[in-house]
Amino acid sequence: MKRLAAGVILAICLARTAGAHRTDEYLQATLLEVTQHGVDVQIDLTPGVAVLPVLMTVIDQNDDGLISEKEQRAYADRVVSDLELFIDGKKTPLTLTERRFPSVEQMRVGLGVIRLKMQAMRVGHELRFENRHLPQVSVYLVNCLAARGDELTIGRQERDTAQRSIRFEYSFGKDAAAPSGVPWFPWEKFVLAGIAILLAGRMVFVRIRA
Amino acid sequence: MSGARFPDDYRVPRFVFLAAVIACLARAQSTSNPAPAIVASANTFLGTLDQAQRSKVLFDFNDAAQRVRWSNLPTTMVPRAGLKMGDLNDAQKKAAMVLLAAALSKRGYDKVQEIMGGDEQLKIASGGRGGMFGRDLFYISILGKPSATDPWMLQFGGHHLALNVTMVGRDGILTPSLTAAQPAKYTVEGRTIRPLGAENDKAFALINALDEGQRKQAILTYKVADLVLGPGQDGKTIQPEGLKASAMNASQQAMLLDLIGEWAGIVSESSAAARMADIKSKIAETWFAWSGPTTNGMPAYYRIQGPTLVIEYAPQPLGGDPTMHIHTIYRDPTNDYGKRSAAR
Repeated sequence: MKRLAAGVILAICLARTAGAHRTDEYLQATLLEVTQHGVDVQIDLTPGVAVLPVLMTVIDQNDDGLISEKEQRAYADRVVSDLELFIDGKKTPLTLTERRFPSVEQMRVGLGVIRLKMQAMRVGHELRFENRHLPQVSVYLVNCLAARGDELTIGRQERDTAQRSIRFEYSFGKDAAAPSGVPWFPWEKFVLAGIAILLAGRMVFVRIRA
Repeated sequence: MSGARFPDDYRVPRFVFLAAVIACLARAQSTSNPAPAIVASANTFLGTLDQAQRSKVLFDFNDAAQRVRWSNLPTTMVPRAGLKMGDLNDAQKKAAMVLLAAALSKRGYDKVQEIMGGDEQLKIASGGRGGMFGRDLFYISILGKPSATDPWMLQFGGHHLALNVTMVGRDGILTPSLTAAQPAKYTVEGRTIRPLGAENDKAFALINALDEGQRKQAILTYKVADLVLGPGQDGKTIQPEGLKASAMNASQQAMLLDLIGEWAGIVSESSAAARMADIKSKIAETWFAWSGPTTNGMPAYYRIQGPTLVIEYAPQPLGGDPTMHIHTIYRDPTNDYGKRSAAR
């Protein structure tokens, strides 16, 4: 109880002295890592001290001021269900692989970061991700990690203004020559076919004239 | 704070003064190799400490936990290890500052003083309550044995400051480091202090030096609420965005390099020169991205990213006016904590 009271006093002190971190926003920072096997997603959720009471109404289902194992699991599942990942236009399920919750005391002073890691096993060439979790109180970051080697090429990233969503194209290996608007359309074959049709047309035209 | 490197109300003990003179002479004799002067300053500082203090300030060079024990947050919230400035006597404090001055350039040292001065302003503004702010709450630590040849590391930081200077022979590698400011503008004895003023003004000058087409590429279409690769994000590199410097003219590239110099130039002059030469050689592969208004005085985020460089500048909403609360990060994803240099 003393620790809790100290946390509340510190939170008030922080808000008054314009301290070191955000107070009235829930920062949701997502990093996407595209691999040859699928997509890894890491999301760091940092509630500001003023947002925590709102967040606790979501997490702390029995209202005991603590976050139990069951409540952690339920909240992590809720976050996952609020995320949408599409690979090549197909909705792709995210599987939670890791969750890390700070203590409530840490969150009360604005220090707690909830970290969730997820994985999607589908591979493809176009990724779209959207975060719909608690938009009323949240600010978002979403970024794609660069590949450790040179094997991955990522095309232009498109986001909405609030960074709740991102879309980009990507390719690996010999396909990794700078994804463009529609990078996997067989342009070369299309152009060759076009030339062949034109030549054939001209031959027919010449014969008819002859 | 520029030009006022030590408070006037302290008398410099003779041995510290002599050490500083020797360090300066050594540095003047060999500006291309500052290592002997930095090592001499480190040993002088260690010489002022008792055994208990030495055991607190010294860590193994490979102490991974200590290496990453830094943050933008106050030290009361994210505890640091090492020696707290407030626990040092005047002579020890001055010796620590002489060491820092030896490891940094003059403008880098001045910047550090100004950031610490900002924290002192927060302490004054809060009426001294809570004990979260102030010059006394900055920490110093040394990883490894100060050496002119073998790798070692000097850490100095606290609220809104984290300097990680890895010395590898003559090279001082400053990445990753965090500079920040709150308040970003304050007055001392009638002088206006802006610890990160150049970082702000040079960036606005650059974005406004771009033509319409370049600006369209540089300006991101979305808001950036915070640092992406701040504390705790070691070893990560995000996909670059914005305007590639290869699409800039020579004058714009020079402005970009000058802006980068605000971070690369914190470390000692010869190390900064080497670092800038490396960054310059890769300038065509360096990106400049901007989010926010382009009128100086408004809050705007920017990122500079190259093969060996990540810089982010992020105004923070906390405190009301985001232009008065800035966080920045400076990284080399290929050589954070001097790992690549130390492995050579």
